[in-house]
Amino acid sequence: MKSLRNSPGSVLMTLFFILTILFLFFPIMVILPMSFSAGETLQFPPKSWGLRWYREYFNDDLWRASTFRSLRIALMASILSTAAGTLAAVGLDRTRKSLVPVFTGLFLAPAIIPNVIIALGVFIMAVWTGLTSSEPLLVMVHAMLGLPFVLLIVGAALRQQDPSLENAARVFGAGPVQAFVTATLPPLTPAIISSLIFAFFISFDELIFALFVMGGKVTLPVRIWSDLQHFINPTIASVSTIFIIATTLAMTTAEILRRRSANRNA
Amino acid sequence: MNTLKSMKLGLAGLAIGLTAAIPANAEKLTLSSSGGQVAQLMQGVFTGPFTKETGIEVEYLATTDRASAIKAMVLAGNTIWDVTELNAIEYATASLSGWLEPLDWAVIDPNNMLPDSAKLGDAGIAATYSNILAIRTDKGAAPGSWAEFWDVENFPGPRSLQNQPFDNLEFALQADGVAKEDLYTVLSTPEGVDRAFAKLDEIKPHVVAWWTTGAQPIQMLADGEVHYTSAFNGRLTKMAAEGQPVQIVWNGGAVKPSYVAVPKGAPNRATADKFLTFMLTSPERAAGFASYAPYPFFTKGLYDLLPTEKGIILPTHPDNLAQQFVSNDLYWGANYNELNERWQDWVLE
Amino acid sequence: MRITLIPALLLALIFFLIPVFIMFYQGLFDPEFTTQHFDRFWNRGAYLRIFINSVKISAITGLLCVLIGYPTAYFIVRRPPSVRPILLFLVLVPMWMSVLVRTYAWMVLLGREGLINMALVYVGILDEPIKMMYTSGAVYVAMVQILLPVAVITCYGTMADIDQSLLSAARVMGAKPFAAFRRVFLPLSLEGAVTGFLIVFVLSMGFFIVPALVGGPKDTMVANIIAVQVAKANWGFAASVALILLVFTLIAMTLIRVVSKRLIYSAREETS
Repeated sequence: MKSLRNSPGSVLMTLFFILTILFLFFPIMVILPMSFSAGETLQFPPKSWGLRWYREYFNDDLWRASTFRSLRIALMASILSTAAGTLAAVGLDRTRKSLVPVFTGLFLAPAIIPNVIIALGVFIMAVWTGLTSSEPLLVMVHAMLGLPFVLLIVGAALRQQDPSLENAARVFGAGPVQAFVTATLPPLTPAIISSLIFAFFISFDELIFALFVMGGKVTLPVRIWSDLQHFINPTIASVSTIFIIATTLAMTTAEILRRRSANRNA
Repeated sequence: MNTLKSMKLGLAGLAIGLTAAIPANAEKLTLSSSGGQVAQLMQGVFTGPFTKETGIEVEYLATTDRASAIKAMVLAGNTIWDVTELNAIEYATASLSGWLEPLDWAVIDPNNMLPDSAKLGDAGIAATYSNILAIRTDKGAAPGSWAEFWDVENFPGPRSLQNQPFDNLEFALQADGVAKEDLYTVLSTPEGVDRAFAKLDEIKPHVVAWWTTGAQPIQMLADGEVHYTSAFNGRLTKMAAEGQPVQIVWNGGAVKPSYVAVPKGAPNRATADKFLTFMLTSPERAAGFASYAPYPFFTKGLYDLLPTEKGIILPTHPDNLAQQFVSNDLYWGANYNELNERWQDWVLE
Repeated sequence: MRITLIPALLLALIFFLIPVFIMFYQGLFDPEFTTQHFDRFWNRGAYLRIFINSVKISAITGLLCVLIGYPTAYFIVRRPPSVRPILLFLVLVPMWMSVLVRTYAWMVLLGREGLINMALVYVGILDEPIKMMYTSGAVYVAMVQILLPVAVITCYGTMADIDQSLLSAARVMGAKPFAAFRRVFLPLSLEGAVTGFLIVFVLSMGFFIVPALVGGPKDTMVANIIAVQVAKANWGFAASVALILLVFTLIAMTLIRVVSKRLIYSAREETS
């Protein structure tokens, strides 16, 4: 390991990584200062500074309600989606070969058909059943939207897994559920976590379904989109900044706690 | 249709398990309109006071693609909106397809507070905005008309227009010398449309961006990306007031109505009429709305209630209205598909 | 059929298959089955051109994301397990910012008087600002920034459970670092790269707001055609274009899978 880390290739890799992160952070580097503008428009650099748009956000019940609604929906949808998708990926792995393409096509299609088409169909169903402005409905719709990606990610991890592991567990007397939990699931953990993150952000940034299904209970993307139609003001920059600061703080705290406990154990 | 019917029954059954008990039906109203800051303003000026005055609860929905949504509700046989805001395309589509309830203006506007031009058979004109020429004042000569916008010799600089055939064909014809009264007469002939596109050919090389959302040209002007552009009036007055070097040219601008209507099969028809009266016929409330958002109604007496400096920046102020033309949305409803295909081809050429 | 498929099947049936069936039924039967919308699609040059252009933009975005995302994921996997979450976190931070907001950020950055132009002129690389916004280049920059985390996570998902001891073993057996990577790691992780490409490709095909905001008129996407038709409540044409998109994408995905399976298989053969 050591020799590898000091090799010129590894220096290049580190540089590459840093450049990639810089590129990903580029928009944040303008949004962050713009959120502290005291002016009416998004300006870079702002001509005057202040916390005006943060006050605007925190004093506004609707902004906060839509933020928590989006977080709640994304959390539930991503768990539902990942659970259903992982089970389906495992199931597909063992389904008769001739059926696999049919199921795969069915599960992938939601990612391909533009959302507005599905959303209109869902809206018709919601109108039929009187389920408009229903949070559980949007959770399930978002879970459906996440499925293709969970399936692709977990499926990819499964394909490179050794099926003999679970078979071995079965041979040694484990029941199907036990074999699944003890032998199949653990190596899939990174893929499952990836899927969870993925499904979370699919829901968190989803606009079209939320607009059709949740007119009365606005989500964060709907709020941002609505404001962009008429007045664009720096509140949207403030919201983004609050999220980034909050998650960075959470991550740092978790890391400090982990280091502490690691030191204590050592 | 039978397949759909049985599907509907099955789904309704499925939903019973999911639906919470519905409270006994008191008189209520479902309003479909814009979201965001406009929603807050609508609620402060209209729906909140309406509930206070009448005791009728209003469910406010932020909605999009309303023509498709109304089609969906008509198809499902269960309209849930009582009153809806409609933009130009949505109104034209819904009206031409017969998805709107006819309105009885003798009931809604007994005191004749709206001019006849704002009272259509199946909709009322509510808030209006303008698509106007907006210019940077610090980039040399300032064009004052569409003819001068087209004049790249005397008014050089990057330009922008909306990526849509509507308004642009009218702007082009004005630049080509057509009087604003004759715009739609000329446009209803194939030669007139050809003439507009030919004029657009001239300006095309100087258009650096074809904008798609209202916030975009504003941002481009602020960033100096373009010097002259078509834009919605709303944001510009605030920018100018803040000291940014931008200016509105009302001359030749397009007044764009937005509509309020009652979708076919609305569940609370009488309440809908009551709300339309409340919303459209009070100059005080119209003035309240217009003093926060630069989207005035046509309600008579509005400008008597607004201070001059607030009135003069609005698209329907008599001084400004006289310089502009009103966008003919039914013309566009009937011709949009064909003209948009031609526009798409033309833009990609 | 496996019982574990049932939850996903239910979700897909109720919230995808039935709604899409309703839309296709409404769109394609008017009241009899009609092909007029397909005819319109094929006969008007603009639509086919937009479609081909969408495929091109999506494929290039997918390639760029994998070319940048795969080495990024590899870099993360090679760090000690305690450092990995922090690095992954860094990759994910931008996703907390709404796509719309990030797109506006690019407008500010890439503008003629924007930060990048100013900086390049100040440093002296450019004599005067150049046009960056409203070009295809701006579209790729914005789309890659949005979709790159997706490619990284997908690649990481398959790399993380490749047994690191395999690599060490290869090294112990005398393989040079790059050879160990190429012969052991690459074949095992290629699956993730292909999946990453497919996800980015499919997601890109659904984009239209971002290209419309930062691109030129030639960067119109197929999803835009559908959005315009839905605004007009013209479900027939919208559904027909969606169907064409679905069939094309499924065929393309299958082809990519078949080809990549061959490649991965032959790469594995080579190592054994």
